[in-house]
This record gives sequence, C-alpha cells and structure tokens, in this order.
Amino acid sequence: MEILRCENLRKTFNGSQALTGLSLELPTSGITAIIGPNGAGKTTLLNILTGFIQPDDGRCFFGCREITRLPPHRIVRLGVGRTFQDLRLTLQVSVLENVLVACPNQRGERLLPALLRVGVAADDVRNQAEAIRLLRFVGLEQKGEELAGELSYGQQKLLTLVCCLATGAQILLLDEPVAGIHPEMAARLLDLLRELRDTGKLVVFVEHDIASVRQVADSVIVMDQGNVIAQGPPSEILDRPEIIEAYLA
Amino acid sequence: MILPQAVLNGVIEGCTYVQLALSFVLIYRTTRFFHLAHAAAYTVGAYLFYGLVGAWKVPLLLAVPLAIAGAGALGCAMELAVYRPLRNRRASSLVLLLASLGLYVVLQNLVSLFFGDNTRTLREGTVREGMLILGARITGSQVANVCAALSFVVGVWWLLRYTRLGRTVRAVSTDPELAVVRGIPVESAILLVFSVGSALAGASAILMAYDVDLTPTMGFQPFLMGVVAAIIGGIDSIPGALFGGLFLGLALNLATLFLPTQWQDTIAFGVLILFLLFRPQGFLGTSLRRVTV
Amino acid sequence: MNYLLHVVVLVGLYTCLAASLDLLVGQTGILSLAHAAFYGFGAYTSAILSVRLGVPFVYGVVAGMAVAALLSFVVSLPSLRVHDDYFVLATFAFQMISFNILNNWTALTRGPLGIAGIPVPVIFGWSIRSRFGFVALTALFAVFACVVVARITAGPFGRVLRAIREDEVFAQALGKNTLRFKVVAFAVSAALAASAGSLYAHYITYIDPKSFTVMESILVISMVIIGGAGSRWGPPIGAAVLVTLPEALRFIGLPDPVAANLRQIFYGTLLIIMMMFRPRGLAGRYAFKE
Repeated sequence: MEILRCENLRKTFNGSQALTGLSLELPTSGITAIIGPNGAGKTTLLNILTGFIQPDDGRCFFGCREITRLPPHRIVRLGVGRTFQDLRLTLQVSVLENVLVACPNQRGERLLPALLRVGVAADDVRNQAEAIRLLRFVGLEQKGEELAGELSYGQQKLLTLVCCLATGAQILLLDEPVAGIHPEMAARLLDLLRELRDTGKLVVFVEHDIASVRQVADSVIVMDQGNVIAQGPPSEILDRPEIIEAYLA
Repeated sequence: MILPQAVLNGVIEGCTYVQLALSFVLIYRTTRFFHLAHAAAYTVGAYLFYGLVGAWKVPLLLAVPLAIAGAGALGCAMELAVYRPLRNRRASSLVLLLASLGLYVVLQNLVSLFFGDNTRTLREGTVREGMLILGARITGSQVANVCAALSFVVGVWWLLRYTRLGRTVRAVSTDPELAVVRGIPVESAILLVFSVGSALAGASAILMAYDVDLTPTMGFQPFLMGVVAAIIGGIDSIPGALFGGLFLGLALNLATLFLPTQWQDTIAFGVLILFLLFRPQGFLGTSLRRVTV
Repeated sequence: MNYLLHVVVLVGLYTCLAASLDLLVGQTGILSLAHAAFYGFGAYTSAILSVRLGVPFVYGVVAGMAVAALLSFVVSLPSLRVHDDYFVLATFAFQMISFNILNNWTALTRGPLGIAGIPVPVIFGWSIRSRFGFVALTALFAVFACVVVARITAGPFGRVLRAIREDEVFAQALGKNTLRFKVVAFAVSAALAASAGSLYAHYITYIDPKSFTVMESILVISMVIIGGAGSRWGPPIGAAVLVTLPEALRFIGLPDPVAANLRQIFYGTLLIIMMMFRPRGLAGRYAFKE
C-alpha cells in the first residue's frame, strides 16, 4: 500500500483559514479516524487529498507521486476513493445503475465501442455480477431495481459506500459515514468497515461521534483550527485533557 | 483610423458595454441565472422611445423617462409573471433560463408584430462631425453616453451601499438561503433589481437610439457584448462591469486598427474564450466554484 | 399531397435536430444555444463542396459532420470546464459569431446572397428528385440520429451522462473524466445537427444565413422541451407538434409575416407554460429538478 501524505497544506476561504500548514502521513493499513471540532478543516483536507479543491500552498503525495494538482478522477484511478458528507448519488436512477457507473474501465464508456456495441455486453455482465456482490456485502442486493431516491437515508449511505468500493479503491476516505443514521444501521456500517479493513483496505473516516471512533479505529488523528494536533492509537489520544478541551471549546 | 480616435471610440463604445454589463450583473448577482430576456428590455426600451418620439411626437424630456420606466416595468412584469412563480415551484436555474428563452421569443415577436420587421431609425440624415478633443472627435450624444455610463455605475454603487433596499439586495446576492432565514425580504430585492436592471438596459438603448437602426433583433448583440464585458470584469462585481466594459470597448476598437470591423463579434468571442480558459473569474470577480463540495 | 410530404420531410429534419440536442439537454443536462450554428455548418459545407467542387452528396455529409465536430471543440473545451452558465453563454456567443461568419465571409459563403443551385442528392447512382424520395431519405437520417443517440444513451456512456446530469461531483468521485464525456457528447450532437443541415441544403437547394440564427436554436430547444427531454420519443413528438401545429395557422389566412410572428409566439409561450406546469414535457423523463 502506498503512503498517502501531505506537506504544509494551507487553504483560505473568503478570509477565514481552513488549513494552516497541515502536514500528515496516513497509516498504510487499519482504520483511521479523523476527529476534531467543527471548522477544524477535516472536510477541506479530504477535498484537497481527493483533488476537488486546490490548496493555496503545500503538496500532496501518493507514494512518490505528487497528486496535488491532479483532477479528482485521476486520483480515484490511483485507488483513492471517497464519500461525501452531503449524500451524493444519482437519485433518479436505480440502485444497480448507480453502482454500475462506478465500475472502472468500461469499454462502453468510449464512443466507438458504445456505438458499435463492441465488447460492451461482456463488460456489463461482469460488472453486473460484481455490483450484485457488493450490494450483497452491505445487504442491499434486494434493492437493485429500486430508484436510489426511494431508499431510506441509511440505505443511501450504504449505497454510497458500495459505489466507492465499486471503483476498486484500496483507500477509502469516508466523510462522516454514520452521521444521521440510526444506531442499528450505524453499528452495521462500522462492522462493514472492520470487514473492509480485514480484506486489506485502508479505511479513513471523518467522524464526530467519539463512541464510534473508540469502537472501531486503530488510530486517531485529531485536527483543530486547520492543523493536526495529535496522532496515535485511540487509547492514548482520546483521554488526553487537551483533546477533550479542544472538542468542548 | 488613427490611434487617439480608436482609443476614444473604444471608450465610447465601452461605455455602452459598461451600462449593459452593469444591468446584467445587477440581476445575475441576485438571481443567479442567465436571464436572456434582458435583451428584450433593451429592444423594448428603444422601440418605446421611438414610438413616443417618432410616432406620437412626445417631447424628449417626457419621452426619455417614460421609455425608461416602460423598460423597467417590463422587467417587473417578467419577474412577477414568470420567474417568481417558477421560483416558488423550486425551479432550477436551467428551468429559469429556458423560461427566459421563451420570454425572449415572445417579446421579440410582439415587437415585430406591433412595429413590423423593417428597420426604423431616428437618425436625422446629416452626419454630425463632433467636437475635437485631444486629436479625436466626439459628438454630443457620445458624450452623453459616457456621462450616463459613469453615473449609472456611481448610482448603482451608491444604491447598493447606502440605501436600505440596496443592502437587502447585497444580502440576497451574497447568500440567498441565509437571507431567507434572516427574514430579509428576498422577493422585494429581486423585484428591485429586475426593475432597475431592465430600466438601465432601456436607458442604454435610448442613448444609442439616435446612432443605430432599430430592428426587433437589435437587442442580442449589445446584450451579448454586455455579458462578455461582465465576465471580463467579474460576473459578480459591480466595479468589474466598469472595468470589463471599457476593456472590451478598447480591445475591439484597437483591433479595428488591424482587422476589418465585421470581425468584431469574432474578436469578442475570442476574448471571451481566453478569459474562460485563463481567468474565468474575470479581473475583479470572486473565484468561481461550480458547486460547493 | 406534395405539401403534406413537405411537412413530413420537415418533421424528419427537425427530429434529427431535436434528438441530437436531447443528447445534451435531456441526457447530460447541459443547454446549448449553438445547435443552429452546427446545423448551418453542415448545410454550408455540403453546399460549398457540391456546388463548387462537385463533391458527391455522401462525402459532403461526412465532411459537414467532421467540420461541425471539430468546431464544437472550440466551444466545449474551454467552457465545459468552468460553470454551466458560462457554457450556455459561450454557446450563445459561438452561435452569434457563426452567423456573423456565414454572413460576412462572402468569398466563401456569398454572405446574405446565399448559395443556390445545390444539386439533388445522388446516392449510389440514384438521384433523389421526388418528394417520396426525400421522405425516405429524411426518414433514414432521422432514424440514424435516433439510433446513434439511443445507443449512446442505453449503455455505460449514457449512464455516466445521467450521473453528470444529476450530480457531476458524484460522477467525478467515481473516477469519471466528466469533461471528456461532455465534450464527446457535444461533438456527437454537433455532428448529427450538421447531417441534418446537409440534408436541408440538398432538399431546399438554396441556403442563406438567415435559416441558421439563434432563433432556430431556440426553436429546436423548444421541441426538445415540449416533446419531453431525456426520452426517445420526446424529440420526434416535439418536432411533430412544433412543425405541424403552426402550419395549421396558414390555413386561417393570415398574412405571412404575421403568421411567422405568431408561430414563434406560439412556441415561446408553450415553452414558458411547459416550464411552469410540466417541465418534463409531453413524453419526457427528465424534469430538470434541482
């Protein structure tokens, strides 16, 4: 697994500083949680790592390759996938179609094969099977033909995870994956994250709920005011007084 | 064509673009959709003026404010009859744009029906030579055009900064959702910008009425130039409209020193593409974000 | 009967135009005001090649499509990156200068005088002279356009377009180079519009810039919207409605210019009404929801 890291990231939005010289090296395995109060810059960090925002200063690397200026789709192709805080899906099409879009390297996405229908059917068969396998992994295989807009909020969150997995990503950057869903579904999702870790994927998730973090994270990164203030195993980090204060302040 | 004249022409022509950019930016900032029917406010302003002065022989002092008010009223009507109901149905900006296309088509053809498709003119026939300033010539109506541009910009700036309604408009422009939450009268602000913006467009048309021919399609070209100027200056910036208009006017007129005038539209398009490629936020606009991530 | 066949040919022509525009508007959710420009480029390329150089019809059509596709990159590559509103504006500007070029580059296009004497199409030795022949030819073109659009729409390419339509950021996060998809869709749409232009040129045998203005673009947009965006039946229905209903106005005996204005007022009003009450049109699937 290559190392995803960044050096000295700075970003200002309309006069307020979101990131203030942040340097970070993500672990190469396990489940890592990024925590911090609102406005700490967690989502901005995610956006910069995944290419949706350009930093004002600083650089990002994946292995020895610089990825700072790469567009999002290239970063996904390197194996770094993400989900969003605001659910992003194509609500007007079926669950299955959402997952199928995510499958990489489809010949039918090039014009000539699409028009001549060369190799498209074979790809589709393969991708459909993979999509159903992933939907089964999260327990949504019965919902394949339903419109994504008709799922419950928790199911939609599971679907975004499935889409992220369908891209073939080895590193999953999840922005608040359990926010807003009820505890049973949240527990199930955390179980899924453990399973994903056990299959060798790196899971990084931004989270507010300390209880979930304690349950599942192998390491914790704490952010505040645009920078990292602590990084380490949860048992060490989460009981430190200055961390608790940063959260309550 | 010598340099001082080209520069002066650039400034004069630029002033028309300033006015149009200003009126468009005012509306766009507040409503965030591409109100193509704005071109109709220009056309209707010109024809109203023509009708009042040419056919009904109304004295200038009365005709000008009446025509401007007419254009403003048209803007109000478009907002009240079409855009507001659509916004109440939570229409996307694409839907509003499509509706504005429909509006434009209807309005242009109404003008055609009432006034006919033939070219109308208010020109007197003799070409006045104009006064000599710094080696270049400028006519009275061109001076009026420049003065008007400056006073429009100052007027709008003052309106937005120092009046209560103006501050409301600025609040809505910056963050419409927050404005609703805060209880700010968003609908009144929008109505205001439509009336003022459309009135300004009508005024621009009247200022040109003695220099250009009137046809029902006359609105498109100036409107397009106004929008290009607005982008150059920064599509959400009022001072940007001044900057962008003058820049575009100068660019086009200096280009005529080397190229025949019929290629003006192409040059404007070229300038637009260059800005889209290298500086989409224009000179003074805030950085563009397609969507917040 | 001849008149009826003429109407059928027009419906076929506009089906071609509407179907190709629907690929952009209905499937990808982006609006172009430049469709008439590409229609015109196809017409003029075909006309110039056949009148000046005696190039056979089929090659002229292909050349027109290639010209349109290449020129589409001039608009799409800079503007599709930026902001959807800017793209509409850039297509608007492109439309205006295309008309400007067709009207002013008199050495090539004869400007406002237009190009006359465009020969009838000859395909594999068959001359198409009769109305019936043109109906068949137009049907062929219309079916071709619809099939191309349907093929793109039904497969993986179309899936990505629909994802872009609803949430481009989502599509990017799934590893799709959304710019490439939009640029390709735009080029295909332009090429198909150009093919309709070639057909038009050889049918009417005379073309001038006035047939390819922004008002024509708006007419095709109206057909897509009113017929219904994002469905395979929307464009033909829209074309049929907006071609035949105004033709009925002729029979009321209004003077020609007035009838022309009323036709446009008709579809302008219909467009507004559709946006208010039925954004997905008569047969469409896409309602332009936020």
